[in-house]
Amino acid sequence: MTGLARRIFLRIMAIFNAKDRIIECKLVYYGPGRGGKTTNLEYIFKAFNKNTSAEMVSINTMGDRTLFFDFLPIGLGKIRGCEVKIQLYTVPGQARYRSTRKMVLKGVDGVVFVADSLEVRRKANMLSLKDLAENLKDESKSVFQIPLVLQYNKRDLGEQGIPLLPVDLMNQDLNSKLKVPYFEASALKGSGVGTTLKQALLLTLRQLQKELDWTK
Amino acid sequence: MSEKDRIKRLLKEADIYRTQGLLSDSRAKYLEILSLIGKNSTFSQNQRLLDGVKSKIRAVDKSLRELHDRPDKPELTQDMQKLIKKLFTFSQTKEAAAIEGAVALAKFGQYDHALNEFHSLLEQGILPLVTAKNIVRCYIALRKPEAAGEQYAKWLSRDLFSFDELKQLRAFILGALKKEGIEIPLPEVTARPRKGTRARKVEDTFLEISAVSIHLQGGPFQNQTFDFEVQFQSANTVTVHLPSSRKEVAEFLAPGTRLDDIQCYSPITVFRSSGTIAGTATIKHGPKQGDYTLDITIDAD
Repeated sequence: MTGLARRIFLRIMAIFNAKDRIIECKLVYYGPGRGGKTTNLEYIFKAFNKNTSAEMVSINTMGDRTLFFDFLPIGLGKIRGCEVKIQLYTVPGQARYRSTRKMVLKGVDGVVFVADSLEVRRKANMLSLKDLAENLKDESKSVFQIPLVLQYNKRDLGEQGIPLLPVDLMNQDLNSKLKVPYFEASALKGSGVGTTLKQALLLTLRQLQKELDWTK
Repeated sequence: MSEKDRIKRLLKEADIYRTQGLLSDSRAKYLEILSLIGKNSTFSQNQRLLDGVKSKIRAVDKSLRELHDRPDKPELTQDMQKLIKKLFTFSQTKEAAAIEGAVALAKFGQYDHALNEFHSLLEQGILPLVTAKNIVRCYIALRKPEAAGEQYAKWLSRDLFSFDELKQLRAFILGALKKEGIEIPLPEVTARPRKGTRARKVEDTFLEISAVSIHLQGGPFQNQTFDFEVQFQSANTVTVHLPSSRKEVAEFLAPGTRLDDIQCYSPITVFRSSGTIAGTATIKHGPKQGDYTLDITIDAD
């Protein structure tokens, strides 16, 4: 059975309504805790306000750590005659919320891995990527096959003299086997957020085209 | 870089980590600063500097304690719970969707609300065995093992479950509690259900399986995974189809072959299990003539 058939059987994949020509897919922002996943979504919500069909839902308590997930639905309008709707999610990054991350990953179509450029977060990045690979495996998906983009966030902190991981080293740590697109970013300032999202959407929609032939 | 500049740089670093919420990293930097100060005869006399750094460490420690003490999964508002159910329910059948919604609540730590939903589903007779197991899971997650035991005793006295189901439930509860290191006495199921029981056949309640992935751990296909759609299901035995081009696989999966790693996909959940090849057959007529069917009996937990 192909991955597609399995996902159709599970009914937890992108939803394609061929009659009304609507496709809805799910993109998850993954990465270590305090890496900037929520900040990415907040920026997207502000910057693409006219495309967002609803409010961003952020379930936080005590401080600004994500305990459950953030959710932001956006509409891309019509692409090749098909209405494209995207659901953006973040996961809680802290190690103890693994079961929540697994839950949020259900039915994921594409992933943005937000790595923290701070030197002190090197190990946390690698552990989080490993956690992503394991959780995808439990969903019968592979980190090597799912549409995936890496974002090296917090590059702006270098200007303040904070030790950052060189991009080459981050690529060596995280991307030497994956060989997926990567982008430097500062989610707080918004730089690199749009390009990361655009590339992730491109890869995801391309993959769904292969599986669902939604532009036909 | 002078010692003074070094301390300044470290302080800035530590402060930024603190504002970023990287509390442990921030604490480590403040401690590094204290150590540097201690080694420097000039700075070690600077009480104001020492007090300032120590006060920052105390503040970080307070934040760390607060983080540690707060509940992992606080109770959410009803609106948020509704949203969770909506976003994490994928099944199209009403029954499966109802269970899935309640499971989603439980997975997000909303155990009390999930329990209410599971109890309601059980009263409606929706997938009783699956529902009952989820009730037990919720009680265990809430650290109320005695409530799981009391619930079981209530089920024993009612006609919701068949004899076999009650036996399964008992084994399930004992196993789940054992995993948590808890042992409580549970009465044995000794009698068949009373006349007029609402008991159903076990096959009615065995989870619907849509597809299976078999990971072979030995033989010529060691470490290979084979995915199958389920063509037919009777109780815990599923029938899958294998094209004639995979003759060597069909021959390897002879009746009696143990399968120690099976991933089962149902509309409600994905779970790992094990099983045995119960039978194989060659399709003799129709468009799939020459292909194979395999009957796999999934081990019930």
